[in-house]
Amino acid sequence: MDGAEIVRQPRWIWRSALPDGDRKPWRARPGLMILGAVLFLGALYLLPMLILTGWAFRGPNGGFTFAQARRLLSEGAYHTAFITTFRTAIITMLVCALIGYPLAYLMATTSPRARTLLMAGIMIPFWTSVLARSLAWIILLGKRGILNEWLVASGLVSAPLPLLFNSLGVQIGMVHVLLPFMILPIWAVLMRLDQSLPAAARSLGASPMRAFIHVVLPLSLPGLLAGCVLVFMLAVGFYITPALLGGDRDITIASLIEMVVRDLLDWPFGAMLSLSLMALVGGVFAFGALFIGAERLTSAEGRT
Amino acid sequence: MFRAGKNIGTECGRLALWVFSCLVIIYLIAPILVVIVVSFNDTTLFELPPVRWSLRWYGTLLDSREWREAFWLSLWLAAAVTALALMLGVPAGYALARSQFSGRRFLEFVLVSPMIVPAIVLALALYVLFARLGLIGRPAGLLLAHTVLAMPVVIVIVGAAFRRADAAVELAARACGASCLRAFWSVSLPSVRPALISAGAFAFLTSFDEVVLALFLGGPGATTLPKRIWEAVKFELDPALTAISTLLVGLTLIALFIAELGRARVSRQKP
Repeated sequence: MDGAEIVRQPRWIWRSALPDGDRKPWRARPGLMILGAVLFLGALYLLPMLILTGWAFRGPNGGFTFAQARRLLSEGAYHTAFITTFRTAIITMLVCALIGYPLAYLMATTSPRARTLLMAGIMIPFWTSVLARSLAWIILLGKRGILNEWLVASGLVSAPLPLLFNSLGVQIGMVHVLLPFMILPIWAVLMRLDQSLPAAARSLGASPMRAFIHVVLPLSLPGLLAGCVLVFMLAVGFYITPALLGGDRDITIASLIEMVVRDLLDWPFGAMLSLSLMALVGGVFAFGALFIGAERLTSAEGRT
Repeated sequence: MFRAGKNIGTECGRLALWVFSCLVIIYLIAPILVVIVVSFNDTTLFELPPVRWSLRWYGTLLDSREWREAFWLSLWLAAAVTALALMLGVPAGYALARSQFSGRRFLEFVLVSPMIVPAIVLALALYVLFARLGLIGRPAGLLLAHTVLAMPVVIVIVGAAFRRADAAVELAARACGASCLRAFWSVSLPSVRPALISAGAFAFLTSFDEVVLALFLGGPGATTLPKRIWEAVKFELDPALTAISTLLVGLTLIALFIAELGRARVSRQKP
């Protein structure tokens, strides 16, 4: 029996080969290695989130109160922000799914060389600073932006089109940022799909369209669902793009939080809004985790 | 006859798929190309194509102390964040990949969950804590805050690599008398070196591009490059912004190239 054979044996065999006094297998003690990360996040992530939760329920003179929650539920202006956020997130999710699925499908079915090129076309913008990309949209879509100058100069339109600082601008920018979060999970599922299944459907007489709709599409649904959950979750909490490309009427929950805290210095209410945003994100995540598992969601995510 | 007709139909569908996909890729890439081209413009207007080409705005950047300082702060900050995130995240990723204990999945979820918390909520929470500790407007505060975001990235990438790596090699080292630490340092770590490079590159980018935490926690004392860009986009729309954005794109390409080096080696190592 050579060395490689020995270590593949169950633990109790190779354990006797360890030096004396060190018989306890390494893999049974993850505690120390994970301790640093747990302490760090405990102090700088869990603790602050708990403090923030406390702020949401703190009365003016200390004590416990539901005043902030009541305020959130009763005032129409806040409902508008929630509706705007929901609408933006749902439109972003649908558009990403509609234009992301074909691209993911092409990437999964084309040659490796073409796939690498398409992948670069997705990953380079994905990792480029969101600020640089927002600036690009301002330059392109503004009233005196490049697109409008071209359109007016060519006589296609008589006056510049309102493409920016409204909900259209927000949608264009959001889809640009979040599209890779839709494409990558769908692509991952399609790549693992057994190619003999659609081939079998075809050989049994199904048209390409029929084989796609009845075989490929249902099998890729977990990827599509993961993409939708990710995009929706990230869109709901997104701050940068709506703040830079939106107008006065496109106040999302995230911008509302910023306004309440920065301009009004109303920390308890800002904390309550944050809590409701977290509940929304957590609810969507739980929904996704229930159907497709939490691992698929967290591993598909690169950054926010 | 029938088959030929069907094939033509399939080919047309394929062509349509390609055309559509190329349009989507153009939508993704075009804005970045536009910023790069416009940055070589000589006028204060954003013209495309530029009437006269020049490096004027790059000169403005180099001359401006504010931009230089913001750039160096971001660079040092991102380097420090990368180091701290690797130091904390790599052992955690290893422990999660190699051990089985009750609650492991829950712990893993908690450790990577900062990635799905909206940045603005995290910014608020950290502001409350940092205000008490006097860390607002201090680079040290940003270092801690950015590491909260960068460490999960490291845990996900490195953890996946440890899961793929062969645990038997580590056990062999242990059976040959290596201590736990030595086996981890000389056997486990080198076997995932490509993933370490990728994780480092992505941790760096996570910090270097981060806006929301920098806006809230940076104060006047610690203005990172993204914070400076944010202020410029929001209040003045300075033409030099296109030059700085082009530099950011260049830096992203370098980081992606480094990360890709790591990934390419991983796939070559697979049997």
